[in-house]
Amino acid sequence: MTQQTLHATALADSAAASRDIFFVSNSVDELGGITSWSHQMARLFSNRGHQVHVLGITPAPAGRRHDLGDDLPYRTTTLYDVHPPAPPSGGGVRRRVDPVDRRRRAAHAAGMRKQAEKLTDLFRAARPGAIVIVTQVWAMEWVALADTTGLTVIGMSHESYETCRRSSRYGRVQRYYKDVDRMLTLTREDADLWIRKGLDHVGAMPNPLPFFPDTPSPRRAKTVVSIGRLHEEKGVDLLLEAWALLAPDHPDWTLAIYGAGEEEQALRRQCAQLGIEASVQWRGRTDDVPAALRESCVFALSSRGEGFPLALMEAMATGVPCVAFDVAPGVREIITDGADGFLAPPGDTRQLARHLATLMGDSDLRDLMGDSARQNIQRYATDLIVDRWETLFRLLDR
Amino acid sequence: MNPQPDISVVVIVHNDAERLPAAVQSVLDQTLCSVEVVIVDDCSTDPSYAVAQRLAAAHPHRIRAFQLPENSGAGGEPRNHGIHHALGRHVMFLDSDDVLERNACRNLLEAAEETGSDIVSGLCVRRHLDSRHRSTNEWYPWLYSRTRTVESVTELPDLFVWDTLSTNKCYRREFLLAHALRFPKGMFYEDLQFIAEAYLAARRITLIPNQVYFWNVRQKAAAKSVTNSRHEITNYTHRLEIHRRIDALLEERGLHDLKLAKDAKFLKHDLVLHLRDLPLRDDSYRSEFAALSQEYLAGIDAAAYEAVHPSVAICAYLLRRGDREQLIPAVDTLINRDKISSPLAQRDGRVYWTDAAGHLEDPLGRSVLDVTDLGHHQKPIEQMFLRNELTGYAATGTTVTLSGRITNPLHSIPADAALRGELVLTARRKSLQSFTFPVRALRHDGHSISWETEADLGRRLRPLGIVDAVWDIRMRLEADGEGTVSRITAGDTALDGQDVPVRPRLTRLTGDRVEPHVSAKGHLAFRLVSLGSPAVRASGLIERTVRGAPGTLGKAGYRKARALRKKLGSGDSKLRIYHEVFCRLPVRRRTVVFESHLGKQYSDSPRALYEEMRRQGLDFKAIWSYQGSPQGFPQDATLVRRWSLPYLRALAQAEFWVDNQSFPLGLRKRPQTTYVQTWHGSALKRMGFDLPELKSMTRDQQRLQQDALGRFDHFVVRTEHDVRTLAKALHQDEARLLRTGYPRNDSLVRTRQTESATGRRERGPLAAELEIPDDKEVLLYAPTFRTGGGHRFELPFDVERFAEEFGDRYVLLIRAHYLNHVVLPPSVTGRVIDVSALHDTAPLLELADALITDYSSVMFDYALLERPMLFFAYDYDAYAHDGRGTYFDLASCTPGPMVTTEEEFLAAVKSLHAWADDYAPARKQFLARFGEYDRGDAARRIVDQLFADGKHR
Repeated sequence: MTQQTLHATALADSAAASRDIFFVSNSVDELGGITSWSHQMARLFSNRGHQVHVLGITPAPAGRRHDLGDDLPYRTTTLYDVHPPAPPSGGGVRRRVDPVDRRRRAAHAAGMRKQAEKLTDLFRAARPGAIVIVTQVWAMEWVALADTTGLTVIGMSHESYETCRRSSRYGRVQRYYKDVDRMLTLTREDADLWIRKGLDHVGAMPNPLPFFPDTPSPRRAKTVVSIGRLHEEKGVDLLLEAWALLAPDHPDWTLAIYGAGEEEQALRRQCAQLGIEASVQWRGRTDDVPAALRESCVFALSSRGEGFPLALMEAMATGVPCVAFDVAPGVREIITDGADGFLAPPGDTRQLARHLATLMGDSDLRDLMGDSARQNIQRYATDLIVDRWETLFRLLDR
Repeated sequence: MNPQPDISVVVIVHNDAERLPAAVQSVLDQTLCSVEVVIVDDCSTDPSYAVAQRLAAAHPHRIRAFQLPENSGAGGEPRNHGIHHALGRHVMFLDSDDVLERNACRNLLEAAEETGSDIVSGLCVRRHLDSRHRSTNEWYPWLYSRTRTVESVTELPDLFVWDTLSTNKCYRREFLLAHALRFPKGMFYEDLQFIAEAYLAARRITLIPNQVYFWNVRQKAAAKSVTNSRHEITNYTHRLEIHRRIDALLEERGLHDLKLAKDAKFLKHDLVLHLRDLPLRDDSYRSEFAALSQEYLAGIDAAAYEAVHPSVAICAYLLRRGDREQLIPAVDTLINRDKISSPLAQRDGRVYWTDAAGHLEDPLGRSVLDVTDLGHHQKPIEQMFLRNELTGYAATGTTVTLSGRITNPLHSIPADAALRGELVLTARRKSLQSFTFPVRALRHDGHSISWETEADLGRRLRPLGIVDAVWDIRMRLEADGEGTVSRITAGDTALDGQDVPVRPRLTRLTGDRVEPHVSAKGHLAFRLVSLGSPAVRASGLIERTVRGAPGTLGKAGYRKARALRKKLGSGDSKLRIYHEVFCRLPVRRRTVVFESHLGKQYSDSPRALYEEMRRQGLDFKAIWSYQGSPQGFPQDATLVRRWSLPYLRALAQAEFWVDNQSFPLGLRKRPQTTYVQTWHGSALKRMGFDLPELKSMTRDQQRLQQDALGRFDHFVVRTEHDVRTLAKALHQDEARLLRTGYPRNDSLVRTRQTESATGRRERGPLAAELEIPDDKEVLLYAPTFRTGGGHRFELPFDVERFAEEFGDRYVLLIRAHYLNHVVLPPSVTGRVIDVSALHDTAPLLELADALITDYSSVMFDYALLERPMLFFAYDYDAYAHDGRGTYFDLASCTPGPMVTTEEEFLAAVKSLHAWADDYAPARKQFLARFGEYDRGDAARRIVDQLFADGKHR
């Protein structure tokens, strides 16, 4: 189907069922994957003729704001003017009866109810068949207090089951998403894990491709690229370890590391200790990911935890073959090991190095895998993903 | 609602008016709205149909009710009727006493539309409504661990043979109609045939992990359903008939693999269900059952016997051969898996269940009845669970007279053994009381021991009453001082009406007599009952109280108390007691806590250090930690069980911790305590923070490991190889390293020194203990630990062949890892010996003239003796190239031949003397690389450096 006919059917669909769709997140404009995702989805739904409203509970924390521009084709609203103080935490009988704590807790709860009333007003004004998509479980605490009668509520977990299990969100997902109409995870494998945990209303919905450049990377520069925040979860230390194993045999290759973060100094020290400073370049944060990818010919993802990594999708869309630690169902769903990229067992730096060396030493293989990657990743093309959403909306109506 | 519903749920009902509305409501409550209900009543005699019509009237667009003109006797025909009237695109079945999970229809429909499958199946959960804790169990959950789609059921034979329910599934209606799929009429087990035909016809099947169907199980229901009143022989006849029809279907389609899988399932499931009841049935039932079975079993694939537990295979084989005499004891073993209920027979170095009735002349009999691998012949009688069959029972006055027969397998109890016996009665629920009665007469009859006695239960048995209503009886038999405990199998001995009076301690109102009673596993027990009228009235009152509000309150209190006790005994509470109580007590000078391999052994370097301290006569208080049994641990030390409160207290107050693996990870070491980590072997495989699993953890997750390793104050190494690998991987810095070599290896070094000085090899006392003749050389086979396959270690070569070929020259010692064990056939006795139970390795290494290993770190220790080594690395590639990886390439530097196949291995053993000397330089090189600090004085040097304080009194 050509782009044009796709668009035409989309319009026909939208004429049939224009809905009110609310996205509810922690913040409307906090830097990060979920914000990019929800605004991308909001735009896609708007293009199909839906009325979209993106809601945030609180303003983004200082220094973590993402500039959205002023030409959004949909409404945005933030409930709190300033971030509310956290309720007193910690259990223990003493804290529970402490009058100061009790007052603070009561004030917090009253504040939440007040904000939830704003949600209720918005929801009541919606047309029949309206959908509320809660992207983060923290935001669900407010939606749960609001009146959602007549609306379909979808709760999302934008991370792997395993990552969630190791965080405080694990218990809250089971508590606050228990009664939503549908809970969505990023992959079928994650959904199955939640189902086995006793949540029987879980389905899967992958992320759409963030972008699809007209031309792929020429794959000429002998550069391996890594893009991500310099945080221990991103595992750049493991990538450096792997690089140290193979760099001596590949003197004409460069490892380009994009990103900034609290680990930067430690990583630079590690780099010096490993004696690979000559072949590692620290490129800092970039706003132009497509350009960074065009100038590379292998992409490395060495994270300790992931959900449905956009970075991999972007690299594959640019025709850059990827090597990644197999840390989440999302990673193995995106990469078909040995066909359009390589997977290494989590933390196995020697295997990561071997895979990188395989690609670095074989330009034919890079071309083959890069082309397959660009081809295969189109199964997450935006139109296909929006169609899946529409199918889901209809299922929930039946 | 749509003109055509997405799903029709066919709800069938027969005389179940009371529960029908709940089943129907579970459909109306579905998150998917586009569902209709088709109720079909199998011509009930109760108001079921009226209820159905009322429901239909209340929900005219969603519910329709139908009734069969006459009762069909089973669930098949009503479902057929339902299929006929269904309008939905998909069809599901629901029984009137069960319910659907709320999201079942939506989940099944979504999967059906996504995949286009003819059948979508979800998880069924059985709910035991009458059980005390309302327990649930999932129906074959391993099939439903994840979403999967198969194009044909032959891809997933387990689905075909195990999940034979029709109810947890959603069928495309067109699919049912196109293949004319219908349930057989008026037969029990109608599901089996319907689902088999449906599976075979389906072009695509999807399984989803969601719970979809709750199957309510009521054990105590007055009208038992088909599945729990299976004693009816008609039941069995129907079952066999359905199986025959399915066999014919498979035969027709040439699906032999599926047939084999189904045969194995028939043996371990269907047959076992009926066999379990056999001891309770009368003779006419048994003969009819045997005749029916014999005919059907003749068609079972012989390969199916290999796929089931030996006890099942033996029963099936005896049935197939019509050997009813030996069947009943075999069923006893089927019910009590470890029980030895046959005298067994040894023939040609193998152990057989029986050698009677010519079964061993039949090749199938020879393979099924071969029970060598169960290892019964290696057990001492105290580890045997022997069948003890009741042969006589009578009650007179307050006394019961009992007689019985205990199986004596393989003449384990010699004819001239001094026999003593007693009966022990204990309450089934935890009680403080037990009562013993001596056994008066015991007689050795060869294959069995007969016994007879009287027990004056009326005078001597004093239950408390109420809390101890059931009393189990066991018999303790002693033969030459070795004891074995058996349960008494009631068998065919009549027990009815043979009760005796008793006087409970509380009052006779709680019960006035005990009557014999047979437990679920077929064992004799006694039950306190009320027969006199005051007692009957009182027990009625007690019953009401226990079931009523006071009882509920009391039970809730009891449960809470139990939960609290459990919590206090949990790991978390113990950690808190350790940190918050014990760590405030003063540290005691010169107190040393020793532990080896997590307390499982008294061995290794901690033992060598302990013995050195004793040898030097130091003034110190020794505490040894043990897990399991304290047997084998030193008498002159304080022994504490690992994780017990005394253990935690000892650790909190110790000046020294000495161990070779790790004290519990969560225990903080006090600053005043010194931790000597001797470690337990040089590394070939990667360890600690060199492991990918640890690398991939976040810093928070690594902290527990890091903190545990940070507790070490001293870390013993044998070589610079250890420094580069182990010490680095375990984050041990230079200051902590003790470059002394391993204390456990001191004796090996001294042995080599003596040997080269005198030119003679001395055999220690172990040789005599193991009865090794002087003229035979000793080979030690010590493979590394392998996971998988349970605790049983399968030898990678035919041990009988080995014994045959080399038994005249060598004795082979086999040492499996302490977590594994091996079973050896009797044919190799004296030529191959299992030495896995010996705690300490050093005496074994000194005894062995050559070592055979694969990758075990024992190679680094044995190298100190400079004797031949053979490497049987049959799975080297898999071992060396898994994710973990090795520190060096073993294959390139083995100080002996490395072989990978059984043939090469046997050839290398044969030519051992020819190659032994060729490898002497390689052995020296290996020793220089991996044993440089082992000089025979490790224990003394460590004691001198760290424990010198104990010398000044």
